[in-house]
Amino acid sequence: MSIFSIGLSGLSAAQTALSTTSNNLSNVYTEGYNRQLPILGESYSNGSTGTGVSVDEVQRQFNSYVTEQYNDANSQTSALESYQSQVSQIDNLLADSDAGLAPLMQDFFSSLDDLSGAASDPAAREGVLGSASSMAAQFRSFDSYLGDMRSSLNGQLEGTVTDINNTATQIASLNDQITQARAKSGEEPNTLLDKRDKLVSDLNELVGADLNVQDGDNYNINLENGQPLVSGTRSYDLEAVSSSEDPSRTVIGYRDAAGNVNQIDDSAFENGELGGLLSFRSETLDSVQNQLGRMTAVLGSEFNAVHEDGVDLNGDDGEAFFNVGSPRVMSNSENDGTGGITAEYDDVNQLTSSDYRITATEGGEYEYERLSDGKTGTLPDPDTGEMTVDGVALNVTGTPEEGDTFMLQPTRTAAQDFEVAITEGSEIAASSSADGDDSNGDVGSGNNENALALLDLQSEKIVGGTSSVSDAYASLVNDVGNTTNITQVNLDAQSGLTEQLREYQQSESGVNLDEEYANLVRYQQYYQANARVIDVGSQVLDSVLQLR
Amino acid sequence: MRISTVTMYEQGVSAMNRQQADFTQVGQQIASGKSVVNPSDDPRAASRAVGVSQSLAVNEQQESSRTSARNSLGQEESVLNSVSDAIGSAKSMVVQAGNGTLSDADRESLASDLEGTYETLVGLGNTTDGNGTYLFSGYQDNAKAFSRTDAGDNVDTIGYEGDQGVKQQKIDSERSMKTSDTGSDVFMKFSSGSEYIAEAGEGNTGSMTFSGPDVRDATAGGYGDAYEIEFTENGAGDLEYTATNTNTGDSVTAEYTDGETIEFGGLAMTMEGEPADGDSLSVTQGGDMDEQQASLFKTIGDTINALRQPVETDADQAALDNTLSTASRKLDASLDNVLTTRASVGARMNELDALDDVGGNREIAYEQTRSDLVDLDYNSAISDYMLSQVGLQASQKSFADIQQMSLFQYLN
Repeated sequence: MSIFSIGLSGLSAAQTALSTTSNNLSNVYTEGYNRQLPILGESYSNGSTGTGVSVDEVQRQFNSYVTEQYNDANSQTSALESYQSQVSQIDNLLADSDAGLAPLMQDFFSSLDDLSGAASDPAAREGVLGSASSMAAQFRSFDSYLGDMRSSLNGQLEGTVTDINNTATQIASLNDQITQARAKSGEEPNTLLDKRDKLVSDLNELVGADLNVQDGDNYNINLENGQPLVSGTRSYDLEAVSSSEDPSRTVIGYRDAAGNVNQIDDSAFENGELGGLLSFRSETLDSVQNQLGRMTAVLGSEFNAVHEDGVDLNGDDGEAFFNVGSPRVMSNSENDGTGGITAEYDDVNQLTSSDYRITATEGGEYEYERLSDGKTGTLPDPDTGEMTVDGVALNVTGTPEEGDTFMLQPTRTAAQDFEVAITEGSEIAASSSADGDDSNGDVGSGNNENALALLDLQSEKIVGGTSSVSDAYASLVNDVGNTTNITQVNLDAQSGLTEQLREYQQSESGVNLDEEYANLVRYQQYYQANARVIDVGSQVLDSVLQLR
Repeated sequence: MRISTVTMYEQGVSAMNRQQADFTQVGQQIASGKSVVNPSDDPRAASRAVGVSQSLAVNEQQESSRTSARNSLGQEESVLNSVSDAIGSAKSMVVQAGNGTLSDADRESLASDLEGTYETLVGLGNTTDGNGTYLFSGYQDNAKAFSRTDAGDNVDTIGYEGDQGVKQQKIDSERSMKTSDTGSDVFMKFSSGSEYIAEAGEGNTGSMTFSGPDVRDATAGGYGDAYEIEFTENGAGDLEYTATNTNTGDSVTAEYTDGETIEFGGLAMTMEGEPADGDSLSVTQGGDMDEQQASLFKTIGDTINALRQPVETDADQAALDNTLSTASRKLDASLDNVLTTRASVGARMNELDALDDVGGNREIAYEQTRSDLVDLDYNSAISDYMLSQVGLQASQKSFADIQQMSLFQYLN
């Protein structure tokens, strides 16, 4: 009665095919779903006549090579996306040409020009104070915008780290479940495999991750620097911690097998959201805030120097016109020694927009590294020589131990303290001090020589000895514009590539409704045909029985 | 190749997103009138625009500096015009006073007229601008330029209270201009090329009058130096004169003859009348005279005081004549100095006009550059706008069409 069993095997295969197709249809929009195909095979037969059909397996259409390429590309896209969304905030900030820094600096110098035309006019003096305050406020507000970005970035890093840890934990747990499922049924646990591959894809969006498949079973995942994130059924946690070099900076820590948290250098992360955020901070945010701080440090100090050379309307020597911030130095919290370093501006013209790492070396000397370009240099023992680096004078207190490090940020916080120091218009030192030479006039209300000298700072090349303050601002605009532009172009290219790989990956693993519908019709007819086989078998049997 | 249904959606959506972004970008450009909205649109243009805007602002600043310089200079020019008018009228009164037929009363009446001119000049010296600051005080512009000291029966004496500070304004990137002149330069100075002026010694008692000095030979040795001529009676009862070059100390002594023309240092002077023993004459080039000697106020004040002295003796007459003669030359020199200053003010104002033209052209060039850098070319922008609209519509249409293409429509 093989015709019945043959028909039955066909009915059963058709049912499996129909449910596989239905499952494909119902999961057409399911993230991470990989299309499944029923693989049919002939049933075992030891004679020339076949014994029917069997379902060998329900195969998951998954190409690990393409998926890896896609995940890799997606990880880079994700890094560029998070970089782009950050940098475009600064780009937008600079886009407002009316409220930007440039017009306010121009207003300030223009008010000084008015003052030079009417040095004793109280209205002109109030004008200078007003425009100076607006300018300083704008510098501070720009700086606080960047500061807000910095703290929001810290928060985003924490969130991303939590997501990475959750994802890694789930992958490790799926490694376990998949091994057990395979052992139990001997079949591929397609749903679990889909889940795990989806999580790997998600993880790549968060952080660059290298996948190694162990014995065709376990997924082992390493970070870009090679440290393991998932190893078999165990996962390792990342932690968002305060940098030992700069407590205001959230960095990524790695908890090793012994339970110690080691800080990972930002540069170890390039891909994924995490890589994008960290690169943005070290490449752009630090530099923009430092450049802004440098502008205020240079403008403020140079202006003060000229102002202090002059004499005000009351006949008193000019005082500091602006309050300017000072360089910041932080001792590494992991230092062994008791030493500290203090810093002050020495020659503001030499300031760069970089940060510096200073390390105590043997023999009481110090080594510094300029972080922007990696240039290193040696500083003398403070007992024997003056410690100055790029316009900053350093002073050591206490006793540092060899290997202790210090983070010097010459201009990072300069803009946040930038403000007008004097309150009365009469305190503006517009006149030059008496030089004892009768051919020049004396100090007097109409003496505008110092106002003219202050006005000259508008175009003087005081920033790095090569640019005026306005040039420095223009170059800041150029830097940010360029970075945003390049990021956008790279993002476009990378998105295109990712889209192509996604299409390629989907062409194997994705569901096409038309195709599935056609299959549905096909398998329906297949089912009907096999039912017909049983019907025929039954009729054949009936005919034989009727002969009796 | 199989196309998954998800891909069809995703590609349709991402195509529409792209088209929408392009469309919005052009829309934003049109709304703002700028081709560079964000620095990232064209970093180089955006950063150059900062530089050009700065140049524009500086140009504007300098334009306003020129306006204020022009105001100051214009005011000074009008004061200088009045000063030269006043000197002219003083000069004609001095000439009138030299008329030998005048009585003491006539001279007193001239003195009164001259005093009016004197007051006018003091007033002009203390002119203030719109802000109440004094035009001629140098840097001490909160203080009156000229103060007066009571000189008893004589006319008040006038002293300069300002300093030598000359205000400057930055009127162009490479040019600072003096926008004022000091009171001492205007009222108490003769210009450097000014001619020789002789003055009779204050204590002269003789009846000697002089004419000249006239220049005979400007190349002669000692020309340009100052001289002191002293009259002494020698032991024989004859009058001698000694002309001493006060710069070198060289001197010549000769016998004095009434009406004789004497020559020294390329100069010639004729003296008439009878000098007394100890009488003197000083002969100095105008440009070398100090504030006291060159003061316009003192010149006129001395004249007024002299006119009020009754003329009874030959010596009185000689003193008056000598004062008038010196005053006449000094007024000429003062007028010359004021006119020179006025010419310089005029030249400065001309330069301002020229710089305004240059600045105006520069402004147009800067505006043009900035516009080229960041402003929108509406023709191409509107064409882009239409084009991206078509693109967006096409992507929407194709998305809608693809979604409608389904096998489900044809089966059943």
